[in-house]
Order: sequence, then C-alpha cells, then structure tokens
Amino acid sequence: MRAVIKFLTSVRLAIVLLILIICSSILGTLIPQGRSAEEYLVRYGQLGGLLQRLQFTRLYQSFWYVGLLVFFGLNIIICTLTRLMPKIRRVFRPLVDADSKNIQALKIKEKFRLTIEPGAAKEAVKKELVRRRYKIKESTSEGRISLLARKRVLGWFGSDIVHLGLLVILTGGVVTGLFGLKQSLSFTENQTLPVPRADFSIRLDKFTTEYYPNGSVRDWKSDLTVIEAGQSVHQKTIEVNHPLTYKGYVFYQSGYGWDWQSPALEVWVKKSSDPAYLRKLSLKVGEKSVLEEESLQVTVVRFLPDFVLDENRQPGTRSLEPNNPAAFIEGWNGGEKVFSGWIFAKFPDFSRLHGAKETELSFELKDIKAPQYSVIQISKDLGVPLIWAGCSLLMAGLFLAFYWPTREVRLVIEESGGKSEVTAGGISAKSQEAFMKEFSDIMSAARKTR
Amino acid sequence: MSEATFFLLTFILYILAAAFYFVFLFSKKEGSAKAGFMLAFLGLLLHTLALILRTVESGHAPFTNMYESLSFLAWSSILAYLIIEWKYRVRRAGAYFLLIVIALMALASSPLMPKEAAPLVPALQSYWLWLHVSVTLLGEAFFAVAFITSIMYLRAEARERKGRATPTGLSAQRLDAISYRAVSVGFPLFTLGALVFGMVWAHKAWGSYWSWDPKEVWSLITWFVFALYLHTRIIMGWKGRRSAVIAVIGFLAALFTYFGVNYLLSGLHSYV
Ligand code: HEM
Repeated sequence: MRAVIKFLTSVRLAIVLLILIICSSILGTLIPQGRSAEEYLVRYGQLGGLLQRLQFTRLYQSFWYVGLLVFFGLNIIICTLTRLMPKIRRVFRPLVDADSKNIQALKIKEKFRLTIEPGAAKEAVKKELVRRRYKIKESTSEGRISLLARKRVLGWFGSDIVHLGLLVILTGGVVTGLFGLKQSLSFTENQTLPVPRADFSIRLDKFTTEYYPNGSVRDWKSDLTVIEAGQSVHQKTIEVNHPLTYKGYVFYQSGYGWDWQSPALEVWVKKSSDPAYLRKLSLKVGEKSVLEEESLQVTVVRFLPDFVLDENRQPGTRSLEPNNPAAFIEGWNGGEKVFSGWIFAKFPDFSRLHGAKETELSFELKDIKAPQYSVIQISKDLGVPLIWAGCSLLMAGLFLAFYWPTREVRLVIEESGGKSEVTAGGISAKSQEAFMKEFSDIMSAARKTR
Repeated sequence: MSEATFFLLTFILYILAAAFYFVFLFSKKEGSAKAGFMLAFLGLLLHTLALILRTVESGHAPFTNMYESLSFLAWSSILAYLIIEWKYRVRRAGAYFLLIVIALMALASSPLMPKEAAPLVPALQSYWLWLHVSVTLLGEAFFAVAFITSIMYLRAEARERKGRATPTGLSAQRLDAISYRAVSVGFPLFTLGALVFGMVWAHKAWGSYWSWDPKEVWSLITWFVFALYLHTRIIMGWKGRRSAVIAVIGFLAALFTYFGVNYLLSGLHSYV
C-alpha cells in the first residue's frame, strides 16, 4: 500500500504520464480519426482491424487514453495535496524563532552591528520592511528577537491553483463527455421542431445567406423563435459566432443546405424550326409532363446538384451545392422511349440527348428550386461553466506562480553590550536578482539608523 | 506608401540588423550590437505600420492567410527578442535570432504565399480572432527566443566543459537562466492564447470548446512539452543540458503546430 502511494505521489510518474500522453496524442494526429471501417482497410490493409480494436481510430475517446488522463488527474491531486499541507503550515503557523546560525546558512544573508539597543534596532528594521509591504511576525526568546517578514505569500500557492484549475478543466471534460447533449437539427423555413429533452420548441422563421461581392459566403443567419407552451417567448437572429442561449441550451448556426429530395425544376422546350415555340415545363423528379402537340411525355429521372463524372465515367455529385445542376430526362411516346440524356443548367450547349428522333426539340434546364434548410446545432453542456472556471484558475495560478514571487526575510537581533547584533537572511524561489537588490537596500537602510 | 513598401523596408532593416549583429560576433565591438538593436527596433516600428496599414486596407485582423500570419509571427518574434535583449543583455543571440526572423519574412514574401486579403469566412468574423491568434503567436515568439538561447547554451556548455571560457561574458549558466525566463513569459501567453482563448472561441463558433482537431492536439502537445520543461526543472532540478533539449523540442513542436498541421494534417483549422 505504502509503495503504491509512494508511486502515485511521485513526480516521476507525472513525467512518465506526460510523455505517454504526448506520444499517444501524436499518434492520434497521424492516424485519421473516426473514419469508416472500409477506409481503414484501404489505408492500412490487415493492420486496419487491429488499429480499430485497439481504439486507435477513436483514440481520444478510447478507454486507455481517457484512462491516462484520469490517472494524470489522480496524480495531480495526490502530488498537490501532499505538498499543500506542509505549505499551509508554513504560512499560517510558521516557526518565527530562529537561530542566527541557521540564517547564516542561507544563500542571501547579511550581518551587521547597530549602536542602539535591540528594541530600537527592531523598530528601525521593521519600518524598512513595512515600507516595502512586508508582513511581519515576531517572537522574543532568550534575549534574542526574531523577525519573520514576508510578502506575496499567495505566490507560493500559484502552482497549486494551476493544478486545481487543471482538475476543474478535466472534470468539466468528463461532465461534457458523459452528460453533454449535442445534436444537429435541420430546419426548413417556418418549421418548428421540439428541442430534445426540453420543454420548449424552436421555429425557424427565416434563413438567409449573405454574400460578398465576389460571391463567397459572408454569413448565414437564422431568425429563431423559442416557443413554450404554444407561446412565442423569445426571438433572436443567430449567425456564426453569435449563438442563442436559452435555459442552458445553446443554439448555433452550424450549416445549411438544400433538400435535394424533390427539387422543383423548370425545363424550357424549344423547337429549331419554329423560333416562336416555347413550352415551360414544371417538373419534379419522377413526375411526368405531357407535350400535347408532340404526343410526348417528358420525365425527369434523376437530378444532381453538382454533376461530375467519376473515374468510371459514371455520373455523380461532387457536393450538395448547386454548382453544376443537371437533370437526366427521358422522352416517351406511348410505350416507346424516344430519347434520354443529361441537360445542364449552367452549360446548355453540353446537353446531349441520345436517340432523339425529334431533333427539332431542345431542352434547357432553366431553374431549380429546392427548399433550403438551416442546420442548427443544439448543445446543453454543464461541463462548460466548469471549463471556464478551470481556465480562470489556471491563468490566475500561472500569474501567481511566475509573477508574484513570495519573498521572505528572517532576522535575529541579539544584544551584545548594549548594542545590537543583527543577522538577516532572505529566501525567494523566483526573481533572485530583484530580491537580492531589495534585500541589500533594506539592509543598507537599516544600517544607517543610529 | 503602401503596405508592401513598408514590408520591404522592414525586411531590409532586419537584414541590416542581422549583419550588424554578425559583425558583433566577430569584432566583439559593443557598438555593432547596439546598431543591430537600433535597426531591429526601427524595423519593428515600420513593421507595426505595415500591419496597421494591412488592417485598415483589408478591414480585418492581419492574420487570416499564411502571408499575414507569417508577417505577424516575425513581428512578435522581433518584439519578444528586443524585450529579452533589453532586459537580459543577450546581444550574442541577436545574430542567430534574426536569422529566424529573416526566414519568416522571406517565406512570407515568397511567391508561394498568396498575398491578397480575401474576405473572411463566417467562422473567422469575430474579435476572438485577434485575441486568439495574436496572444498565441506572441507566446510562440518567446518560445523561439528560448529555442535560440537553449541552442547557444548547448554550445557554450560544450565549450566550457572543454575548459574554454565563453566570450563576452554570456556564460552557459546565464543562457540557461535566460531560456527559463523566456519560457516563463511564453508559457502563460501560450496557455492564454492557444488554449483558453481557443476554447472560448471554439465554443462560440463551433459549439464545442474542444474537438480534438489536429491543430488543437498539437497545441496541447506543445503545451505539455513546456509543462515537462517546468516540472523537470522545478521538481527534479534538471537544469542545463536536459532542460535546453526539452526547450528545443518544445519549440519544434510549436513550429509543427504552426506549419506542419496546416500542410500535412487536415482539420477544422484549415483556414489558411
Ligand atoms: C499539464 C499539466 C500540468 C501543468 C500545466 C502544471 C503546471 C505547473 C506550474 C505552472 C507549476 C509552477 C512551476 C514554476 O513555478 O516554475 C507547477 C509546479 C508543480 N507541479 Fe505541476 N502542472 C501540471 C501537472 C502536474 C502533475 C501531473 C503533477 C504531479 C506530480 C505536478 C506537480 C507539480 C509540483 C510538485 C510542482 C511544484 C510545486 C511547488 O513546489 O510550487 N504537476 N506545475
């Protein structure tokens, strides 16, 4: 048992853990995370299965990585606590009485005589120390006066506050991982959807995309209404970087898209022999439309928003953006297929209809209307306040640890023949040079007292 | 004058500063080092103007593509170096450090880096862009100083072991102390900029404060390496050689976070 505790308190363990965490984190950035089993098979062959079984493919959520972090947390707790107790004792119940020999063993020290009696010497030294904001404790024993002067004592606890902050952050992470709710909902305009695990709903009133003059997206905005018991209770336009917060739930603008399930297509039909001829057909995928005078039925068999030919020369879509909308149409006369082929909204000249007997007719894909939806990410995460609290502690602790160095001056004043023999020493873990200067300033000021 | 002109003048001043610092290495005349310092300082002023002009022209923070970001990193590096030199008189480091700055400036002005100020994608339109990137890069600049002083330490220590004294009084021990000072400025800045501000912004923009995106993981790795530096030093009393090696590794990790992740790994942070 004792050996276990000793191991857990050891700083060596912290170092080993740090190195292990560093190495496994690196591994996680080299192996793509959270892809499909097939992709790993293609990429790593036989090894793919092993990587997945060892959870290297969702490394940061894996049993052993989280285990490492928890172990690290335990190590911080134990390490910090075992050092905290002696530190607290040293601050609140310090040993003021000192021996001049111990003081002489310090690295920063000075010894001098004053031609006044010890009581007056003490007051003179104290005045100098107080002027420099030192807090002083004193004790008198066996004819010697001991002084303990300190300032910026909080600096000693800087590292403990850093570690506390880290633990709070780790706890926040665990809370997020276990209880955090995160879900994406796709809204079309005027659609109301219930918020998961909540007693209110959200309605999307309006969704707008703003563009820069060069055509790239500037922002997405969703006008949202919170509906509680049938009543609108809150309204806000959210955009990227400006979410809506309501009852601990946060609503983010996370994406947008078009519902390509059944876009409304407008197809224009023209006839080369008759410039005045123009028929406008409104079609949905799978629907038929009849051109009476031509005794022709036109159907849209397939629609692709961003047409591309893959390596096998098969049509597919590169993305869900309407970059290159294309429709595959067929013309039927009774039971006979007269023609079929792709027509392109952006490249009317590329349309090629195969088997077109009526070479007179040409088809143009003029307009595509698909309902646009806004993707709203909903999250409710009690870990978040812990994270911010932890970050504040972390930063405060770092400041204290590096820039609030505790300084300690010890003095022993002994009487020798009506005069005072002063022995002084100083301790400061950080900023030695500045402290040495202050120490010698105090001492030379004290020496001048008569 | 345009931003590009100021940038070029700055670049020239940094090269001149480096030249004077190199003269100082060989001539050991204080005057050359002082001239180097003044030229670098003048460069910093012009560089500041260039960054301000860039901000005014583009209407957004000057670190949204690789050119801007490199230029800002060079600016922070000079700032960090001048502060450290002014406080700790590390003149000999100037020559080596300015080589890093010149490399950054050269990379920024290379034709590989597109220079147009593109309009900002929605996720970047936030004042957190300022806070997150500037504080992080400033922290990394101090790591760069620690990197140079650590390498100088390794050389000085090797020389002292052979019984030869270091010229101009910059002893190995002092270089070690200065590396530590640079890390103790860089560490809190990097923590604040990269991790804390990063999490706050990610929370606002993406809806989760931590996504294990490669850039995030590499920042964390960099941070862990410097935590290792601090702990081995304060608890196990590692000073000198081992400390210097960790500081060098830490800077290389920061460099990889900055460059490598963008070009070799992909993720949410692939804006530039
Ligand atoms: C990444 C995680 C950690 C960070 C960022 C961190 C941060 C710090 C900082 C900033 C200091 C003050 C250093 C200085 O004053 O120069 C410190 C000191 C210290 N840390 Fe950590 N720490 C971490 C993990 C740990 C762990 C796991 C342990 C457990 C063994 C530990 C044990 C200590 C100890 C014993 C000290 C010295 C305390 C003192 O005497 O003031 N730290 N830490």
